[in-house]
Amino acid sequence: MPIHEQSLIRPENLKTHDKLVLDGVDVSGHWSTFIEPRVVTDYNEALQEEIAALPGGEHIHRCWQCGSCTNSCTVNAVNPDFNPRFWIYLIRMGMESELLRDKDIIWQCVSCNKCTYACPRDVFPEGVMKATAHWLELQGHTPKSKSTLFDEEFTEQVMATGKIEEGRIIRGFFAKTGQALMQDWLVEMAKRLARRLPIKLGFLMGWATIFRPRTRGWSRAGEAIEEYVHEQQAKQRKALSLE
Amino acid sequence: MNSKPILVVGGGPAGLAAAHALASVGQRSIVVEKENRLGGAPILSGYAKLVPSGEWARDAIGGMVSRVEGNPLVEVRKGCRIEEFSGGPGDFTARLSDGSTVEAGAAILCTGFTHFDSVNKPEWGFGTFPDVVTTTQVEQMISTGKGIRCPSDGRKPQRVAILLCVGSRDRQIGREWCSKICCTVSCNIAMEIREELPDCHVYIYYMDIRTYGLNETYYWRSQEEFKVKYIKARIAEVTSDGQKLIVKGEDTLVKRPITIPFDMVVHAIGMDPNVDNKTLAPIFGVGLQEHGHIAKGSAYGALGETSRAGVFVAGAATGPETIDDSIAQGKAAAMAAFALVNQKTAVAA
Ligand SMILES: Cc1cc2nc3c(=O)[nH]c(=O)nc-3n(C[C@H](O)[C@H](O)[C@H](O)COP(=O)(O)OP(=O)(O)OC[C@H]3O[C@@H](n4cnc5c(N)ncnc54)[C@H](O)[C@@H]3O)c2cc1C
Ligand code: SF4
Ligand code: SF4
Ligand code: SF4
Repeated sequence: MPIHEQSLIRPENLKTHDKLVLDGVDVSGHWSTFIEPRVVTDYNEALQEEIAALPGGEHIHRCWQCGSCTNSCTVNAVNPDFNPRFWIYLIRMGMESELLRDKDIIWQCVSCNKCTYACPRDVFPEGVMKATAHWLELQGHTPKSKSTLFDEEFTEQVMATGKIEEGRIIRGFFAKTGQALMQDWLVEMAKRLARRLPIKLGFLMGWATIFRPRTRGWSRAGEAIEEYVHEQQAKQRKALSLE
Repeated sequence: MNSKPILVVGGGPAGLAAAHALASVGQRSIVVEKENRLGGAPILSGYAKLVPSGEWARDAIGGMVSRVEGNPLVEVRKGCRIEEFSGGPGDFTARLSDGSTVEAGAAILCTGFTHFDSVNKPEWGFGTFPDVVTTTQVEQMISTGKGIRCPSDGRKPQRVAILLCVGSRDRQIGREWCSKICCTVSCNIAMEIREELPDCHVYIYYMDIRTYGLNETYYWRSQEEFKVKYIKARIAEVTSDGQKLIVKGEDTLVKRPITIPFDMVVHAIGMDPNVDNKTLAPIFGVGLQEHGHIAKGSAYGALGETSRAGVFVAGAATGPETIDDSIAQGKAAAMAAFALVNQKTAVAA
């Protein structure tokens, strides 16, 4: 598949005068169609550094625009607007407003890493996609994605108890994403589980749901992890000038 | 060895290498250099650190100069040209511009190149705006220790654009060759600028990046370690808004017209054939190739030979060459000339 280029001629920049006479020549209607020049003044030259400060984005400045990532990309095959090479370029050149036009598709990366294995410069395009999606969230351009919310729920539990309890994660995830707890597939799964699960396991599950057991001696480990996570978050926010 | 000395015309890297090689096998030579100093372009134009060695030109080429100037088998004639050249292999006579005459068994033309004069590309602002400079000027800013400064007011630039292929690969001005070393030199200069001025953004505008062979590391390092930005575009024009230089072109990768302000614009100037070639060719009776460089024989059998027996050629006189290759060619030509004057072997025609 050829590398898809996005047209920079946007319909909103096409201007036509219904009545226009220039030097005595009538150029009304489509004779006067011109493309309004767009002077981009909002280059954000720090953009590359911002992405590089987020996990996965570290190697973005290596990119030499060969297009191997895009032409190997799983998502690009179904949506030609999904173009990691193009976004990497926009980021490197600081064309933030252009990047934001695609904010609603950037997160669609499925992390298959086909690009990672194709890239001759070890840019880690998959990581860059992740970092970019993360950047969009941190900057408030996109709401947190469902997978981010799931990760957060998961992490919060681990940090609190050193364990995960699936039922709780699902409940927390549904609550955060505004989904009903009683979903058909879940009810069905619970029913079948109940039919086959040994009594003892069922009991343990119920018990764990109510009492939230913790890994023994977890508090110190948990605190250390929490501190580290906060440190990293603070660093990232600082790199993005969000402090 | 009683053979006549070998005439080496031009005292740049190629000529210095030839003279030294001849001396090392006991062969006398006469180096005729038109300037008052030996060393060729790297010394005469004050280059800074050379690629790919990273050594300062004044040390590396300066070393070659002193090796030759102190050698009893090399006679150096500076500030001098050849005005007449006659005879045949083993028995040439040359008349010099100072009126003297020398006898020589053979001659090696090591007359090098001429820097492209950027005034011939007026759309890129050289000669109109003082802050449009050439790679040679930037080399001098570094080698003199002055540092990278805008010539107009001496300020440190915050944004520098380097335009590649200025005076090369351009049919409009009759220069269809690639000057071979300017990509690598530009990557190196970009890193030097970033090293001296870490807050300065450096952009390189390219059509292709030709950091061939091991020089590729210059391209990679400049991007990976020094965050130099590369934009695939050939600039349309350089103008000024009275304060900054305005660079216009198309960023081809995003189909976007670009208009970007810069403090300094650097032309990566190419290597023209030596302007003297038109007079050198008839004096020495050698042919020029299509672009005006001195035509050379086949590398497989007659490296260093010209169209005239007994007259050899080496270095940038034959086309854009690097220092390393000019040195190798200087030595190869010395070998061929030595064999000829000592009648060891007949050199294959
Ligand atoms: C900006 C710039 C930076 C460069 N940096 C590098 C680098 O870092 N590394 C690298 O490998 N290469 C570099 N080069 C290329 C390098 O300059 C050449 O490879 C090298 O100078 C060629 O050596 P040469 O001896 O053949 O010719 P030259 O260096 O041109 O020497 C020719 C000599 O002959 C003399 N001469 C000319 N005509 C006559 C005449 N009619 N009579 C008598 N004498 C004459 C000249 O005065 C000169 O001394 C650079 C080139 C440019 C333009
Ligand atoms: S990891 Fe993402 S960007 Fe890379 S090939 Fe897969 S879907 Fe495309
Ligand atoms: S494959 Fe790597 S180097 Fe090539 S465009 Fe994609 S990220 Fe850049
Ligand atoms: S070496 Fe690079 S800058 Fe020089 S002429 Fe060739 S492509 Fe252009």
